[in-house]
Amino acid sequence: MVEKKVSLLQWMATYDQRWVYLILFLVVLGPMVSPIGMPISVSASTRNWYEKVTALKKGDIVLDSWSTEYSGYMELKPGLLATHRMLINKGVKLFVCLGHPEGFAVANVVFEEELKSYMDKHNYKYGVDYIILGYVFPNVASTIAAVTNFQDAVKTDWKGVSIKGTFLDRIKTGADITMIVDFTTGAGNPGLIDHIVLRFGTPMIQNPIGVSLPGALANLDAKLLQAVLASARGGAELEYLIREPGPGLIMMDAFSLGHYMVIIFIIIGNIGYFGWTKRERARERTTIR
Amino acid sequence: MDLLTYLSVVLAIFIAFCGFTTLYGKGNPLYSWAEFSYLATATAMSVMWSWTATFGVRYAIQGLIRGELIWVPAIILGILMWFRVYPKYSYLSRVSIAFTMGIALGWGLRTSIFTSFIRQISATIVNLWVPEYGIMYFIARTTIAVSIITMMSFFIYTTEIKGPHLWSATIGEYIMYTAFGAVFAQTFMGRLSLFVGHMQDYMFPVWKQPYTIGAALLVFVILLALDKKGLAQKLAAA
Repeated sequence: MVEKKVSLLQWMATYDQRWVYLILFLVVLGPMVSPIGMPISVSASTRNWYEKVTALKKGDIVLDSWSTEYSGYMELKPGLLATHRMLINKGVKLFVCLGHPEGFAVANVVFEEELKSYMDKHNYKYGVDYIILGYVFPNVASTIAAVTNFQDAVKTDWKGVSIKGTFLDRIKTGADITMIVDFTTGAGNPGLIDHIVLRFGTPMIQNPIGVSLPGALANLDAKLLQAVLASARGGAELEYLIREPGPGLIMMDAFSLGHYMVIIFIIIGNIGYFGWTKRERARERTTIR
Repeated sequence: MDLLTYLSVVLAIFIAFCGFTTLYGKGNPLYSWAEFSYLATATAMSVMWSWTATFGVRYAIQGLIRGELIWVPAIILGILMWFRVYPKYSYLSRVSIAFTMGIALGWGLRTSIFTSFIRQISATIVNLWVPEYGIMYFIARTTIAVSIITMMSFFIYTTEIKGPHLWSATIGEYIMYTAFGAVFAQTFMGRLSLFVGHMQDYMFPVWKQPYTIGAALLVFVILLALDKKGLAQKLAAA
């Protein structure tokens, strides 16, 4: 049997999609083994985030909300680490509230491994400068309870140790929070905006994953958010702004190449569609059977 | 690093690549193993943390110990919710669900009307031209205004679409296609960030690199061999 020769246009329309995955693997792994150092630009949105965090003063109390599981953390990691470096450097008081059960693992990694040496360098101590309250904001009900009467609703930290006598004594309601910094995979807690920002006028900034970015930008436009840091890309830009290279800048080579690769495959797919698939359908329609 | 942590990391890298075999497009035992392991671990972890962090030690039990009787109805409602998994008495869980839904609706309506509607609408009704913000602000605001009007005209179904309405609806339709493209790009950026982030976790510190590349090759070879022998789908979980 003679095999029919596949034209270039037909190949463009019908190639095995598994090639895309394989090439994506290579494109991502390659720059990690051998970094290229492609340039990045800093967007106005990241600059705005930088200014909002910079405006905080030593001793200000920030609600540090992490509505992320471990997989989402991989995308939020650059922004989360860079922002926390800024907050630690400024001596801002943080109380970390988790919105996902896996957040415990993330908090452990961040404070016990990633930021440990940075915190030691700045003498930033647990119980004095930051407290992890744990999984206290799983839903709207808990948020309302906490910001209406904080001292009655939250009495211990994530390990069951009393928070009495700490900086959290200063928090009575949501009005006592200087700012909310939210890292979210989108399955976050609507109570933060609905019941703290709206009710007490507390400023809030948000670092969402890419999928949730359009929604966050709409809230930024409606002034419900004061700044938005866009996905891992925003985190990389922030690392550049604060002159603290980290995971974001390392991943940007793979990130940029991955985007170039998809653009090329979209072009190939479209040429294949108009050059072969569409004509093939027209031929099928006009064939006399 | 102790031996246990070291072995855990190497196993995690291998199992991650087993998970990626779903991209091969055919069921296989490596993926089944990774999938079920993940589901079991994630479920166990969620239940454990939810129990110790919210219900168990932290709030309800500690609250009861302190003599706060307010926790009694909360505990009863929580227990009723668990009947969801027991078909014979699953109707009892409706009490808790109804309670939760009622409260969520009340809270939602009270605030969502502002955050999801009024604030969003008022954010679009603004001066198109503000001299100090410049031409880019004008272009952005005009684009938003035109997009909203034309897209809303696309969704008017109670009249025949013709004349200027047809033009407006058609423009709105194409603006929506553009918006879908933008959302797709954001989605891809997000997914790529997740993938690159995970790969970075498997590639750094540098000692992980041989294991990562080795695991990728090993899984790929096993998968091809299983597929060639016709065992991939046969050994996969149903």
